[in-house]
Amino acid sequence: MSGRKHTVLKIAYRELGRMTSRPLYVLSMVIAPLFCYIFFTTLMKEGLPQDLPAGVVDADNSSVSRNILRNLDAYQQTEFIRQYSNFGEARQAMQRGEIYGFFYIPEGLEHDASNQNQPLISIYTNGSYLIPSSLLYRDMKTMATMASAGVGREVLLARGAGMDQAMGFLQPIQIDMHALGNPMLNYSVYLSNTLLPAVLALMVLMITCFSIHTELKDGTMREWMELADGNVLKAVSGKLLPQTLLFVLMAVIYLILLYGYLEFPLENGIWPMLLAAVMLILASQGFAVFIAAAIPSLRWSLSLCTLWGVLSIPICGFSFPVMGMPAPLRAMSWLFPLRHYFLIYVDQALNGIPLIYSAWYYVAFLGFMLMPLLDIWLLKKTAYKYTYLL
Amino acid sequence: MMKSIRNLLSVCGQELRKNISDTGVMVFFLIVPLLYPLLYAYLYSGEVVREVPVVAVDQDRSAISREFLRKADATPDLHIIQYCSDMEEARELMRRHKSYGVILVPDDFSSLLVAGHQATVATYCDMSGLLYYKALLSGATMVSLDMNRDIQIERLAGLTREQLKVQTMPVENEYITMFNPANGFQGFLIPAVLILIIQQTMVLGVCMMSGTEYELRKKGKLFLGREYKDPLVVLFGKSLAYILVYALMSVYLLMLVPHLFHMPQLANRATLTAFMVPFLLACVFFSIFLSFFVRDRESGFLLFVFVSVPMIFMSGISWPASNMPGAWRFLAQLFPSTHGINGFCRIIGNGALLGDVRKEYMLLWVLAGIYFLCSLSAFLLFYRSSHIPGIEFIRERRNRRREIMSQRLDVVGDKIKTVRAEIREDVRERRDRNRNQSNG
Repeated sequence: MSGRKHTVLKIAYRELGRMTSRPLYVLSMVIAPLFCYIFFTTLMKEGLPQDLPAGVVDADNSSVSRNILRNLDAYQQTEFIRQYSNFGEARQAMQRGEIYGFFYIPEGLEHDASNQNQPLISIYTNGSYLIPSSLLYRDMKTMATMASAGVGREVLLARGAGMDQAMGFLQPIQIDMHALGNPMLNYSVYLSNTLLPAVLALMVLMITCFSIHTELKDGTMREWMELADGNVLKAVSGKLLPQTLLFVLMAVIYLILLYGYLEFPLENGIWPMLLAAVMLILASQGFAVFIAAAIPSLRWSLSLCTLWGVLSIPICGFSFPVMGMPAPLRAMSWLFPLRHYFLIYVDQALNGIPLIYSAWYYVAFLGFMLMPLLDIWLLKKTAYKYTYLL
Repeated sequence: MMKSIRNLLSVCGQELRKNISDTGVMVFFLIVPLLYPLLYAYLYSGEVVREVPVVAVDQDRSAISREFLRKADATPDLHIIQYCSDMEEARELMRRHKSYGVILVPDDFSSLLVAGHQATVATYCDMSGLLYYKALLSGATMVSLDMNRDIQIERLAGLTREQLKVQTMPVENEYITMFNPANGFQGFLIPAVLILIIQQTMVLGVCMMSGTEYELRKKGKLFLGREYKDPLVVLFGKSLAYILVYALMSVYLLMLVPHLFHMPQLANRATLTAFMVPFLLACVFFSIFLSFFVRDRESGFLLFVFVSVPMIFMSGISWPASNMPGAWRFLAQLFPSTHGINGFCRIIGNGALLGDVRKEYMLLWVLAGIYFLCSLSAFLLFYRSSHIPGIEFIRERRNRRREIMSQRLDVVGDKIKTVRAEIREDVRERRDRNRNQSNG
């Protein structure tokens, strides 16, 4: 028993030497994830974008329209930066990217309103920028409705109705939205919680695959195998041990950043998420070893691991839900470790439901970890049979 | 002058040949740009999320509450999968990811409405995806607006419908999303991804090529022709090769792919072409400059793939650029992708003309200039430095060739000598024999 441990530690020590011999490892294992941690959490530190630039076209230029305009700037998320003289000018400003949307008040608004012709105010937003466009729409829709209701309310109050009665008449049914787990609709909560582990998992996939195959390239693979007395399992576990420790440290850093420093929702405490983060790293390593053993070529196995890491970001469904994807991709999404992490995060951190509901995702992680057992023996063949060809 | 042009073309040809023979590079220059956009477009082919599964809890059980729920189910956004008796049952379905929201009609709903007060419908939404929230909000709001109008009409019996509308809604409003009519994911994300693919695959491919060169040099196996003597010629030759490859890829990515997936295509051809020139130049010199920091084939993978994720955010396509911290906004200016994405999205999505994207267009020229100077100075520096030999190998190859030639000459010379000697011997022998015969 002690002999086995000794071998693994010997290889781990050797790997530590390899990792410190070139700056590439530190750059991609520590600097790259740290950069992304800082980037994403500071990028969206406002939570919801404030003061989005918008414009106004007042074709009517009457006292009524000016009155509407005066009340527009009361919203936090929208800032009316300019008034344009006609529709074309506002459209061009949108094409230049100066504004994300604009209000169009048609000619004859005052005249139509006083003649009870029900004039039409139009809201235009630039759909090429989805998030600003949606947020602007929400604000501007409310503004337009309020402006209109304001006029109606005045009429009713003047007729002697109470405020409660007036609202009961103007809006008999109102909708009360409850955003569970993220009541402020914080974008950082919504994106950082998945993007930080996604970048880390990408790095785990690439480094694991790279560090195995680079032995073949350097011509040291045989030496590595012989150090483990020809036992592939020992050889690989010794090699991955220092990497695992470093990656777990990086995972702990993002957990502290997200749930300790930024105080993002964490309903069931840190333990389920810590377990998920550690298992995400181990699962990614397992998957990468499986690929590295199956494909005895550095460029192809590394390409595949990279593809898997990058593709896992859209396919895990945090921005566009998996249920909206075509059926083959829906089925494929289970083959990405990040998908399981995302579902655990939703259950455990965001919604805080009992751990048992997430059990299957943890089991899936176990499956990824065991994947190398299927083909790891091929690595030995690779070590003795193949040589690296440029 | 003519000679440098011939050298330049020769370098370009050799680089192209190297691209084609290296499968690793071809993955980036060909396979990824060809297939990745298709994969992405397929991923988002649904554009928007329809019929989000929700459950209803009807505590009121009146005709009007049933009408509300029936109408909610009929909206394109929502699909009521089940009517639950209480919130606990509804919550259980959410926990099992069967539903993503709850519509709760409280028990005082109809009585409040009858009394002429305001009644509230509560909705609870799973926040694992913002699109669920959007669907639930817009679905429920649509139904409430619709029913509100009917209720008002009932209450004010006696007035005409038109009079009523004016009473309740003196000013009507409408909503138009310009340029992305489906307001979907494909129309918003794919154009940005296409531009990023051009830049990133170019960076990765160029880095892999230069990494390979570096490795070969270190092993002493790099043989370059005489035309590789002049750094300026090499720089231009390489750039020309990459631009040729990417001019083709750009036509595919920016004209064919949007067409294949029915994305917004308001692009003015001339504008698009004019805009791509500085973008490709900036990308090429950016890639060549970065490739100097790469010491082997795979470093590019590990160092530059992950950057794609922050880069797409830096472009401001998702989180608006106007709300980024200053430091990130500045950093974003350094990448061709930032200006490329902003310009291209507005050209193809909004039908912007060159004048409308003047800022991005000028900045791309500036970036192209900066990275050209950077890579030129790097080339001059590295070609002179001793630890990355360039000229040395040319000289070495020439010497080796001479050596081989002289060896061959020696061999041939020796052979000629022996043959001559043999002939001489032979002639002498015959002469001797003849002399003997005539004597005898």
